[in-house]
Amino acid sequence: MHDLEQLKEALIVGDWKNAAAATQAALADGVAPLTIVTGHLMPAMDEVGRRFECEEYFVPEMLLSARAMKASMEILRPLLASSGAQPVGRVVIGTVKGDVHDIGKNLVAAMLEGGGFEVIDLGADVAPELFIEAVTERGANLVALSALLTVTMGWMKTTIDAFQTAGLRQEVKIMVGGAPVTQQYADAIGADGFSDSAGSAVALARKLVTA
Amino acid sequence: MERHLGCLIATRGIEACYESPVEPNHLRQTSVSSRDRLRTALEHREPDRIPLDFGSTNVTGIHVSRVAALRDYYGLPKGPVKVYEPFQMLGSIDDDLRAAMGLDAIGVFPLKTKFGAPAADWKEWDFRGLQVLVPGDFRTTTSANGDILVYPQGDLTAAPSGRMPVGSAFFDIIVRQPEIDEEKLDPADNLEEFGPLSDEDLDHIERSARAAGASGYGVVGSFGGTSFGDVGLIPAAALKSPKGIRDVAEWYMSTRTRRRYIHRVFERQCEIALANLARVHSLIGDSVDCMYVCGTDFGTQTSAFCSVATFRELWFPYYQRVNSWVHTNTDWKCFKHSCGSVERFLESFIEAGFDIVNPVQCSAGMDPAELKRKYGSRLVFWGGGVDTQKTLPFGSQREVREEVLRRCEIFASGGGFVFSAIHNLQAGTPVENIVAMLDAVNEFNGVWHA
Repeated sequence: MHDLEQLKEALIVGDWKNAAAATQAALADGVAPLTIVTGHLMPAMDEVGRRFECEEYFVPEMLLSARAMKASMEILRPLLASSGAQPVGRVVIGTVKGDVHDIGKNLVAAMLEGGGFEVIDLGADVAPELFIEAVTERGANLVALSALLTVTMGWMKTTIDAFQTAGLRQEVKIMVGGAPVTQQYADAIGADGFSDSAGSAVALARKLVTA
Repeated sequence: MERHLGCLIATRGIEACYESPVEPNHLRQTSVSSRDRLRTALEHREPDRIPLDFGSTNVTGIHVSRVAALRDYYGLPKGPVKVYEPFQMLGSIDDDLRAAMGLDAIGVFPLKTKFGAPAADWKEWDFRGLQVLVPGDFRTTTSANGDILVYPQGDLTAAPSGRMPVGSAFFDIIVRQPEIDEEKLDPADNLEEFGPLSDEDLDHIERSARAAGASGYGVVGSFGGTSFGDVGLIPAAALKSPKGIRDVAEWYMSTRTRRRYIHRVFERQCEIALANLARVHSLIGDSVDCMYVCGTDFGTQTSAFCSVATFRELWFPYYQRVNSWVHTNTDWKCFKHSCGSVERFLESFIEAGFDIVNPVQCSAGMDPAELKRKYGSRLVFWGGGVDTQKTLPFGSQREVREEVLRRCEIFASGGGFVFSAIHNLQAGTPVENIVAMLDAVNEFNGVWHA
């Protein structure tokens, strides 16, 4: 139990080395990978999100916690896959075509993974057909689109339309975010949800996959 | 009239306040020079009309495609527009367009552009169908998928440092982060791009500043070297093999985990900058009116990149040192750019000696009236005129006009306002909306002191 408290603390303070060590130690003590994720990793990242929302934490702290969470998940991911544990949801995430900005997208991806989602991160400058391909191949039920520029946010609509054309629009929920994106814009392009921060993105994603 | 416009808008609506079209700024007879107009506003006194800026800095610019479109709109001679800032693809505003738009400020820029090519030996370049002029050492290749790659100092044998994807209209920096060995991390590695200005650099600045100073326009000097920890510059797109901390996310994390390292970088950078400023000032004197100090963003769309406490520990001492030197030795005003929601930092900006804040991103949860009320007598708002994420690119001309009139109402009173949009005018912005924005400023000016 001491290791798990240490893991939680390491995630909250963003210490990736301690996070990896505590994860290894907990596994060595016989704690199940899923228990580590749901009982400790998810509450820790929820706490990180809470601190971000109330401005105790800012982007640097979020990045540090995300890196610590990734260090832990690198160890846990293969074990979870082999155990057949089901994630909260399966999300394909990427920055849309023409846009190479990815810090915000990476934070959302990390928070979603810390929130119990399986995250398929396609990176930046992602064409609509690649989102569709990933959803089809990986059986994702959620798509998260990011854009930073006014000249590229139009690709969000193009991507959503591509899902419609491919006959897959009813199979997935699509959420959008990024500096110039608003709830009004999300509604106008037919997205299912909009989030203006990495912390609130997790709550939105959970809501969408259980709707 | 001038004191009651806000009340009139509240009770009668915008249409009742601004009933008839007003002659454009540039056609109205006035004895006030642009430079005096700008200086008056910077001294927090009301000028004859609101000074207007597009193109004097890298954060109040216009995308080259929009400069070309504006030239067409005003019927000015056609020809390739010069890209003075190839990272954001900002187009030069020549005197004829400056006059047509009624602008009041021009800029002095360093010799070297973002990717390290000197702003010289201009050549034509096909920018996805638009002929533009770029520096001679601005060299690109096109990748198999159609992305445009640009190379540091034009060296095609180096790794590219910028990429413009298909479908985009701007470059983004390619991060080239060498593996970090914590034991060997040396602040000098993050200082390679900072050093004494060369004779060539100084000669360019002197010639540019003298010409600008003689133009009759207000002048903003951007000399480089005083942006502390600007993540747009941290990847060092002009260097062929950057060392140190060059990844943006790694830099952000370092502001928490490697503060001693960052202090050492900032301390040395500050020393170099002050020595350069002394040399620049000895050559150009007060031919510029204000100095672009730093573009580090502290605000996000909804929050901040750090706490005020972190700002005061990590940035404040260096800003204070630079601004103090400027105020002690020159008549220049100090210009701070920071996107996002930055109201929490404004008291610290003022205390650090900044005179001007830009781009005044009201859309990031900052109420313009509150900003004016709390800080308007101590900070010049250079920007804030219209939203470039929503209203200007996607709104109707009527929406543009209404937003501009309201912002002028709020910010113009008592001076301390230079009209510009909230950051650069982006590619894809309808030229009719840009003209509607300018018309609205003229309309306001027509009744402001009527």
